[in-house]
Amino acid sequence: MSRIVARLRSPGPILLSYLGLLVLFGLISVSSPGFADPNHVTTLLIVAAFTGIAALGQTVVIIGGGIDLSVPWTLNCAAVLLTALARGQDGPLIWIIPLILAGGVLIGVINGVGIAIFRVPPIVMTLSMNIVLQGVLFIATSGFPPPPTPESVVWLATGRLGPVPVILVIWAILTIAILFVERRTSFGRYLYAVGTNRMVATFSGVPVARTTIATYAISGAAAALAGILLDGYARQSYLGMGDPFLFTSIAAVAIGGASILGGTGSYLGTIAGALILTVLAGLLPILQLDSGYLSIIYGVVILVTVAMAAPATQRLLARVLARRTPASLLAE
Amino acid sequence: MNRILGALGRAPAWGPPLVVLVAMLVAIEVMRPGSLSMSRLQIEASEAMTLIFIAAGQTIVVLRGGIDLSVGGTLSLATAIAATRTETATFAELLPWLVVILVIGVLIGVINGALVSGLQLQPFVLTLATWSIVSGIALVILPINQSSVPPAWFEAGNATVLDLVPVPILLLLLLLGWWAWFRRTRGAFRIRAAGSDERGAFLNRVSLTRTNLAAYAMSGFFAALAGLFFASQTGSGSPVVGTQFVLPSIAAVVIGGTSLAGGRGGILGTVIGALILNQIADVIFLVGLSSYWQQVASGLILVGVVLLAPLLAVAAERTRRTMPGPA
Repeated sequence: MSRIVARLRSPGPILLSYLGLLVLFGLISVSSPGFADPNHVTTLLIVAAFTGIAALGQTVVIIGGGIDLSVPWTLNCAAVLLTALARGQDGPLIWIIPLILAGGVLIGVINGVGIAIFRVPPIVMTLSMNIVLQGVLFIATSGFPPPPTPESVVWLATGRLGPVPVILVIWAILTIAILFVERRTSFGRYLYAVGTNRMVATFSGVPVARTTIATYAISGAAAALAGILLDGYARQSYLGMGDPFLFTSIAAVAIGGASILGGTGSYLGTIAGALILTVLAGLLPILQLDSGYLSIIYGVVILVTVAMAAPATQRLLARVLARRTPASLLAE
Repeated sequence: MNRILGALGRAPAWGPPLVVLVAMLVAIEVMRPGSLSMSRLQIEASEAMTLIFIAAGQTIVVLRGGIDLSVGGTLSLATAIAATRTETATFAELLPWLVVILVIGVLIGVINGALVSGLQLQPFVLTLATWSIVSGIALVILPINQSSVPPAWFEAGNATVLDLVPVPILLLLLLLGWWAWFRRTRGAFRIRAAGSDERGAFLNRVSLTRTNLAAYAMSGFFAALAGLFFASQTGSGSPVVGTQFVLPSIAAVVIGGTSLAGGRGGILGTVIGALILNQIADVIFLVGLSSYWQQVASGLILVGVVLLAPLLAVAAERTRRTMPGPA
């Protein structure tokens, strides 16, 4: 356990976000008894899974020092492609789902090649990709909603394996996989090296371009998977279904303690971020607030989290804490 | 060919986008004769002014080496206040509100600048947070999607000053005139210096905090101005309209030749960039494609511009070597 903690570059922010989540959840549960009901918690977890899966790729990209603004329409393309190709049939899903995931990887690879090889700034490259995908999707569908989602995809998003929702099993498998990749593989080490300092990584023999391209490929695949699952949850695909994920995917990573500059963070933190965002959204109906207040609360939470992790605040905290350590007390 | 590319590469940052814009205008004139009339251009300018204003503010923050996503929230908030606080006012009664809204824009910018400098926060995440907060405030002030603003406001935005210059054109000229003055001032020089090399600027006694405060304050001011202009053009306020201008504001800056790395570029290029984005719709329509192609085209142009910039720089370097003497 201590080795895992030591391997996290900055365990502070991640622990902090889980503490924040616990406090938040505790406070709401005390004031509103139904909130901690197992059924309600399951619902919250299912909703969080969509943000969590879409933010998985965003986490990897941000650790690698980039940003992926193409998540919304990559997700939307995958969702529309699924319903358009499957036409409500379960049979063809065997080749459709791998095809769509490969499509997500392809979008990511194009992003990555533009960024790593042609030196286009990540914001410009992925923003352009997002705009182009949006246009392509509107042209391809002429704005008409494609046929309904096949039943087996609905099962993936809303069904249960015994008492456990299928989507939570998927999320758990993905989490274990990505944490393994982050910590136990050479790609994981390259990832943090590239995010910390591209130049140093290059001179240390890290395959910088390949690593960068891989991060965007993972993000494309994760967004595509989130699109497929969201199809099942909404039982249809529609244009604009990915738009909220631009904000939530980045917000979850930021709340999870990763620096937008890259080199730090872990998917473990992003999970806490996704859960915090979902719990806050669940707070609205209880307090009977408009969506405007959720927007304000989201902004304040992001602001407070990044402010806590900011170097200036850390120095201040360190100075305050330094006065009261046991060592200094003993010295007195 | 090389010589032309070289000349483009040596030109100021707004040179290449200007060539693209002129080519687009010529193409439009060829496909639909009479498009370059004064009245047509005036309509184009008024359509593009909201984007031009919000992108002008974005340019200054980008020159400082930052990025401001909160402009979307500020724009929405400005239209929301305009729509809810000034219901049946005459133009004279509206003037104080105009000042109030612009001051609120500046305040939002000052808060952004203070947080970026004071806590050393990353501009992207910080302004993502303030974007969310300010959008939320706009939604709380004006919960419905669309609400009309006083007729006097609409009339002011569509008036013709001295029967000669329409307000949108006047505002565009004012903006360009202001930039022609401001870009040569010490303040603009410091913002650029801090944007291109923070450490070097700091060692030369350029205040990083003050340049940040100034850049984000101007960005907030221009975003509020964009909101006021939007409300005056459409006669309505909307708490969510700003969101659709955030990413285009960055696109206009980049297409206008300003480097996202900070320090290089300017508002003239951004104005051209915004006009290019605005003209794409026209070209797409005239070519006979579905209007959805507009997005594909703007995305491709955005990447194309960034890919082309280094090529032009290389061409400029090569022709400089082959052509002795001042070119």
